[in-house]
Amino acid sequence: MAQDPPARSTVTVSGPRREPMTTILRTPADWPSLLLDADAATSTRRGDPAAALDAAVKRGAFEGLKRCVHELGPTGTIATIAASGLRGRGGAGFPTGEKWRLALRSEAAQRYVVANGYGADPSVATDRTLLETNPFAVIEGIAIAAFSIGATEAFIAVRAEATEAIRQLEGAIAAAEDASYVGPSILGSGRGVTIRVRPVQGAYMLGEETVLLKALEGKRGQPEQRPPHPAERGLWGKPTVVQNVQTLAAVPWILANGPEAFAAVGSSASPGTILVQVRGPGGDGVAEVPLGTPLRDILALAGSETGLKAVLVGGPSGGLLPVDLLDTPYEFDALREAGAHVGSGSIVAADQRACVVDLARLLTRFCADEACGKTIPCRIGTRRISEIGDRIATGLPKPTDLQLLADLSADVVGSALCDHERLATLPYTSGMRYFRGELDEHILRSNCPAGVCRPIAVAAGAVS
Amino acid sequence: MMRVPGLGLAKGMGLTLRRFFEPKATIKYPEERADVSPKFRGRLQLLYDEFGAIKCETCFQCAQACPIECIDMGGLDTKGRYHVHWGPPETYGERRDESALRRSGRPVPDPAYAHFGAIDIVPLEAILEEFDHDPKHLLQILEATQAAFGYLPIAAIKLISHRTGAWYATIYGTASFYRHLRFEPPGADAQTAALDARRPAEATYLAGLAAALAGAGGGPGPAGKKHRDGERPQA
Repeated sequence: MAQDPPARSTVTVSGPRREPMTTILRTPADWPSLLLDADAATSTRRGDPAAALDAAVKRGAFEGLKRCVHELGPTGTIATIAASGLRGRGGAGFPTGEKWRLALRSEAAQRYVVANGYGADPSVATDRTLLETNPFAVIEGIAIAAFSIGATEAFIAVRAEATEAIRQLEGAIAAAEDASYVGPSILGSGRGVTIRVRPVQGAYMLGEETVLLKALEGKRGQPEQRPPHPAERGLWGKPTVVQNVQTLAAVPWILANGPEAFAAVGSSASPGTILVQVRGPGGDGVAEVPLGTPLRDILALAGSETGLKAVLVGGPSGGLLPVDLLDTPYEFDALREAGAHVGSGSIVAADQRACVVDLARLLTRFCADEACGKTIPCRIGTRRISEIGDRIATGLPKPTDLQLLADLSADVVGSALCDHERLATLPYTSGMRYFRGELDEHILRSNCPAGVCRPIAVAAGAVS
Repeated sequence: MMRVPGLGLAKGMGLTLRRFFEPKATIKYPEERADVSPKFRGRLQLLYDEFGAIKCETCFQCAQACPIECIDMGGLDTKGRYHVHWGPPETYGERRDESALRRSGRPVPDPAYAHFGAIDIVPLEAILEEFDHDPKHLLQILEATQAAFGYLPIAAIKLISHRTGAWYATIYGTASFYRHLRFEPPGADAQTAALDARRPAEATYLAGLAAALAGAGGGPGPAGKKHRDGERPQA
């Protein structure tokens, strides 16, 4: 049972080291800020971890953990989290309280907590920014989760390229252990948790929870059938609570301020705030927005919205939404209905220069390349979808291609094993739903309205 | 021929008398040992059980143990399907060489290693020791190995497989899944260089996204150069 990976900091990084300082976008003053704290960011980044811990405690860190240990106890904590309505920030939006209850109910000698800070989408730095600026909130969240479900070991999976986040985390964990917030006995309660940082890299799929668990076990990263959920049978077959770092960072705030205060923030179906990466003409940066904020307001953080053509919501497997859907609230269910998803938390504005077909084939090709190859609908289906997109873009489509695209997407979604597969069809399905005219222009007239693709003019009547 | 009474007896007694003065072949076994070659194991013989079936199970243990590797077996396996042999007769000579090496105490080259470059296993031994030869830490072992060698030599994977007990195929499958792990040193040949050029797939994606947003064509394939109607190539 002793899974004691020796402390080791040797990390191989292939490719160029990416260490850009992410910009944190300024949000309107009336938007609540639960996760990020601009002042805390500057003070934590420099100086030694112990001083940073003192400063964080002065600002109210570890209050939630104290309440959890001294007042609420495990079941009380889980009830509080469930009452707050907190949902997982990893993209799927699974209720957190229910997940913890499931893990607590499963009979096992050992349980684990895994914090997913991988941030699979390479254009998104939300998780890394959170870990760099506010590592203590994540550590406190892990301690609370471990105390509640009775886990003694916890892992934080971080992108190996994010060396600064790893350095911050390791310092913060050591400082918190010295102050006995974590370690062999949380605040003298007798229950302990050991937190380890695990740098992972090398595959987009690691953002999926079962794949991440495989990577932590040292195996090939391929997803597993659910159920059983990881909360019942996860890491090394033991109940494992896998949560995004943003979810865990919200947990202490809930315990310190009460579930009612949290439920009042954001929309009623999915309360709280979430970190998004907004990319627009005016900039590219991380912002904390309350869930349920209209897309229009979020895009306004990154510049004007004139000349906007489409909004890509959800990263490489995201949906392309048209301008008239800009009032869609940014939350799990509403986005799903509109044909996009929260996903990686990326919101990209595409203006008139971009071609929807070109964008969709870029995204689908990336998803097809990153498919792990476990299931046939994903390995072959996404590849075929990508090829159909290539045909449309190069002007050699078959008349039945749009129908084929729709049928194939439905089949891939219907037989999917994991969410990657289910969502990889979104760029084209949402493109067909909202930008049918542009696709028809490519197929019927071999013409790219944006002037990006170079369709060969062979379709009947297209050659003038 | 005339029958002489008592002649037979006299002949027999004569033989007895002659043997009496001859040197004896019998030795007092436990106290005295016969002077035989140290490798003499008696005559090779296959035994039969009480039903007349041959008792040999073709397990090849004797063939493996045979110091000069002269034992071989042929015939059918237990399911009556295959002709089995410890090895083809042509290789008996090589096996004798290997056997001679082994007896002399020198390391025997493993033919499975011969196709791959030799590596200095000292750093790998240290890595395996550090991770307790535990296949549960396979990914970390592989990452540390790559940090030590710059890539994952096949001989290193074989040694990891041997020490951790994980199948070679499992290790290879794990290593080939993760993009940052590689099997050739950087720039080993043109094919590797071509692979390396698009190795950070994420960087390619980011560049493609930026290009697509700027209207320069981010998708792969023949699209990619911005053009207007006037410049469209004639099909």
